[in-house]
Amino acid sequence: MSFSNVSADLIWEVTRSQNSFLVKRKSGPQVQFSRDPYNLLNVHSRKHAGFVNEKAVGIAPNEKGGVQVITKKAGFANKPAAGRISVTYGGNKSARKTYKGVANQTAKSGYRADLRQAAVARASAIRKSQKANTKPDYEHKLRGNAAKKAAEAKN
Amino acid sequence: MASRPTVTILGADGKATGATEVLPKVFGAPIRPDIVKHVHTGMAKNKRQPYSVSEKAGHQTSAESWGTGRAVARIPRVSGGGTHRAGQAAFGNMCRSGRMFAPTKIWRKWHVKINQGQKRFATASALAASSVAPLLMARGHQVSTVPEVPLVIDSAAFESAALAKTSAALSLLEAVGAGADVAKVKDSKKLRAGKGKLRGRRHRQRRGPLVVYNPEVDGSELVKGFRNIPGVETCPVDALNLLQLAPGGHLGRFVIWTSSAIKELDSVYESKKGFSIPANVVSQSDLTRLINSSEIQSVLNGPKGEAKTKRGNVQKKNPLRNKQIMLRQNPYASTYAKENLGSVKEDKTGKGVPAAFKVLLNEV
Repeated sequence: MSFSNVSADLIWEVTRSQNSFLVKRKSGPQVQFSRDPYNLLNVHSRKHAGFVNEKAVGIAPNEKGGVQVITKKAGFANKPAAGRISVTYGGNKSARKTYKGVANQTAKSGYRADLRQAAVARASAIRKSQKANTKPDYEHKLRGNAAKKAAEAKN
Repeated sequence: MASRPTVTILGADGKATGATEVLPKVFGAPIRPDIVKHVHTGMAKNKRQPYSVSEKAGHQTSAESWGTGRAVARIPRVSGGGTHRAGQAAFGNMCRSGRMFAPTKIWRKWHVKINQGQKRFATASALAASSVAPLLMARGHQVSTVPEVPLVIDSAAFESAALAKTSAALSLLEAVGAGADVAKVKDSKKLRAGKGKLRGRRHRQRRGPLVVYNPEVDGSELVKGFRNIPGVETCPVDALNLLQLAPGGHLGRFVIWTSSAIKELDSVYESKKGFSIPANVVSQSDLTRLINSSEIQSVLNGPKGEAKTKRGNVQKKNPLRNKQIMLRQNPYASTYAKENLGSVKEDKTGKGVPAAFKVLLNEV
């Protein structure tokens, strides 16, 4: 923030009613979601609005497996390109090591200890989604004409 | 303000030239979405063309009411015979081919006068907001690849009509990290819903960066270079327009400045007679810093009461079974147990309480 006329609090008040990340739906319960990449829960709230806060954490699936953690460099609000730190935890890394890394990155040295739990949960959910489906496909029972044909072929 | 913040100037290759420019004072103006919204609503109305339905529409018939007694409504009816139209109701807004309700007139109040002071306030506010990266992101601009906001490009890149060609202009935008925003605009082109398609507003698309230049130094050839890039607009620094700085009344347009334009901005504002850049009511808008400041903390009272652990939804323990809980609720319990008072026989002689208990009660 260059001049002191701007702060995260002000930005939140300006953008809370409308911003490009906000997702509202007319049907269903009136929940407000966020598409912000720096939002761990994807909910529209002051705490999780990463684009507003000086320090924020975002976790996304890594293309080659594992998770990619992005954080913002404090004091670089007006330098978007330089203020982005990205760390990758590959898919071959053990879950425990990944979570430890994510938790440390989020909560240590006065960064965002309040987001630790959410960060680990998101990393865990992403890892879980990357697991190959190990359940065997169940056999489809044929019906109608297909069943008749199969029965004839058997005879 | 002791030292004003500076901004680095980028070269045509997108790398910092090493030169910096002090940010003009306007960027310290208060950010007021309410004023910007209000002024924008008025200004957006000032380009409208009058329209109305024809004065004669629905009245080009000699219909007259049949009056009562013919078991039909008393609405005017088309006279004559020999055609379907005869005998049909006319004129009313409820009638087929009747006039509309409250026919639109060309003398509607199309334009809105906005006070000049308000307009200038709104423009200053929109300019200040254009230097806040989170607001740009909230507006939907793709600025995560941009090295700095506000984005200033050395005027040397515009010299001698260097950007008169679209390809040169586009490669400059890509070099300074604005390519993503332009690409977003290009992908956003959609067919408009509704009748606007027939009225010269066939497509709708997002807005990209606004290039602000100083016509005296940069020339105006760059306008030709940028004008065919979707979403990119250009504007001379002495004619900044709120409709471009805050499209839709939403703060945070992505503005690309030439170095001479941003240098010129202070003098542009100084030349506005009777206008000074609005001051902030609250000079420190960071609430956390405000609360934690020594000025506030020094006059606050200390916390009242003692430190207590808040116990939320925990299981209720039975104090008769759980000694620790008993001790917490009844401080006397420990003495009671130590003195073994529970097993002291009741004095049935009526001579009074045991001596030990009297000592305890300080009655001896």
